[in-house]
Amino acid sequence: MSARPDAPSALARLEASLPGLPGGADWLAWRRAALAALASVGLPTPRDDAWKYTNLRLLERRDLAPATAQLLPTSALEALPTPTGPRLVFVDGRFHAGLSASALPEGVTLALAAPAIPPPATTAAAGIAVEDRIRTLNALLGRGADHLVIARGGTPGHTLEIVHVATGGGAYPHVALDLGNGASLDLLEYQIGPQQGDAFVAKVTDATLAAGARLAHTTIQLTGDRTVLLDDLRITLSADAHYQHRLVALGGQVTRFDLTVTLLAPGAEAHLAGLLFADGSREQHVRTLVDHRAPHGTSDQLYRGVAGGRGRGSYDGKVVVREGAAKTSSRQSSRNLLLGADAAIDTRPQLEINADDVKCAHGATTGTLDEHMLFYLLTRGLDRETARALLTYAFVEDVLKLLGDGPVRQAVESRALARLPAAATIREFVA
Amino acid sequence: MSNIQHGDVVLDIRGLTVSVKGRKILSGLDLTVRAGEVHAIMGPNGAGKSTLSQVLAGRADYEILAGTATYLGEDLLALPPEERARRGLFLGFQYPVEIPGVNNVYLLKAALNARRKQIGLEEVDAFEFLAIVRDKMKLMQMDESFLKRGVNEGFSGGEKKRNEILQMTVLEPTLAILDETDSGLDIDALKVVSNGVNSLRSPARAVVLVTHYQRLLDHIVPDFVHVLAGGRILKSGDRGLALELERRGYDWVLEEANAA
Repeated sequence: MSARPDAPSALARLEASLPGLPGGADWLAWRRAALAALASVGLPTPRDDAWKYTNLRLLERRDLAPATAQLLPTSALEALPTPTGPRLVFVDGRFHAGLSASALPEGVTLALAAPAIPPPATTAAAGIAVEDRIRTLNALLGRGADHLVIARGGTPGHTLEIVHVATGGGAYPHVALDLGNGASLDLLEYQIGPQQGDAFVAKVTDATLAAGARLAHTTIQLTGDRTVLLDDLRITLSADAHYQHRLVALGGQVTRFDLTVTLLAPGAEAHLAGLLFADGSREQHVRTLVDHRAPHGTSDQLYRGVAGGRGRGSYDGKVVVREGAAKTSSRQSSRNLLLGADAAIDTRPQLEINADDVKCAHGATTGTLDEHMLFYLLTRGLDRETARALLTYAFVEDVLKLLGDGPVRQAVESRALARLPAAATIREFVA
Repeated sequence: MSNIQHGDVVLDIRGLTVSVKGRKILSGLDLTVRAGEVHAIMGPNGAGKSTLSQVLAGRADYEILAGTATYLGEDLLALPPEERARRGLFLGFQYPVEIPGVNNVYLLKAALNARRKQIGLEEVDAFEFLAIVRDKMKLMQMDESFLKRGVNEGFSGGEKKRNEILQMTVLEPTLAILDETDSGLDIDALKVVSNGVNSLRSPARAVVLVTHYQRLLDHIVPDFVHVLAGGRILKSGDRGLALELERRGYDWVLEEANAA
């Protein structure tokens, strides 16, 4: 690193921006203590096992101070497909009423973070566990959690859209979703960022699903080439609750999704899928921890990674089946496609079973295009370039088809297509 | 093109010797196929039948140790697979691959146009193409939904085989090599597939059927039957040979060859 050894770290430099953040003296004192505690341990590094594949070293040279500019990102919003339901916009982590729908579906309420709430009592001065460090950073630089409450009985059939816009500098959004008994929500989340200039987003997402609740959550990550985005999601499922996450990570410089899904009670289900697209010099990382704590739980994970150029990616997925979580059924599939010799994707599916009578399977591959498929297309007279392009598209499609047939799929597909080799050729085959 | 006449040599294989991962699969295979003929290649499992099909279609992971294969006067083994296809050689796969996301019909249209370009014909547009495909789909008893599906995506074994034959009837190859096209077909599907193949029989074309069982030959009557075992053709005959193989198995052919 070029920084002088005595230069203050990126974390230490944040000290100056704390007085400008909301809250009274007690909050400022808490933020200072939390920052000091975090600075003493530092941000996670590849030496921490859970961060083995993600290197945050580039943050040392970045200004992580919360953005204050609040530039209106109207043109960025126009590039998104027309929303099919109410849209909530958060700019640099702050709710933006002017860009957001005024009415929410019945049964849905938004409670914005209130600075009047006293700060957390402890600061964990004894050291912050590695899995809590990004959360701590979010808490000490953010404004607290904005709560979306979906009432008991819920709002079936509605899609709620959340757009997170980063304009440059640091953004620390924290969204907490509380779904009551039997509540149901389709949540479509876009993450967009500046097309030029640096941005850093340390985002926290919490979702608590009460018995029988259902959350179908889609995240489309379209940030700019100089955006570092860390999204830490913690999902807790009660009995028969159903969580579905579809991730499409197309943009960014370094992106990491940390998904911790806890199946607390019997009959819960978690279905996770994602497409990580790491072309150019992008890095796309996913780490999952699916924790089966009760019997009759179901989880599956389907992740596909594509890396080209000097792109990097990783899938680091762990399933834990605790004692007593009998009749658990769990599947993990991670397949990765390397389009060039300088691209790399790491995959590490892990399984820890402490219960009897469970069905768990996992598979992981990283490689180039399937030779059997390639040969098949060649024997039909297609040239090699076209055949390769089609197979790459087919690989990506494996995840994109999970987005259904609507405008979101089309928008995402056309963005993904544009970045594949021989895009024009592919379009002739997929119309 | 297509001044190919009945009786012209389409494929001429001489002393073909092939290994896969260091193991010799074909050793000194000879076979001559002329326009207008249907040849059946039969043989026990592991005899090299599929290897022969794949080598002729141009699969890369086989090593040609010796011999030649001439197709319409050209050195077939020197051509990449896509060039073989464009020159009218079609392989019907034993296990057609699924390519989800790539539309069946678009693939077939691209395949047809690659072939037409090669022989100096204009490309067909989407409208003309659909008319051709609909016509052939009727013959293969495939329903409309097929038009919207990905290549072999979610097809049953029988549907995949029908799709292979559909492709063949659209592409109208000069030489069709059908690798175990009958495996996994029930009797009704077998009839449909056979109709498709028979519709293509003409004095200017040739068909090589690779099969394990005689029953396909009840529906597609071959002019020649060959027994492939130990990497070469051990015995050739007419349709009667297939019936005898069904009755007596393959051992007697192997014994005869050993005694000779």
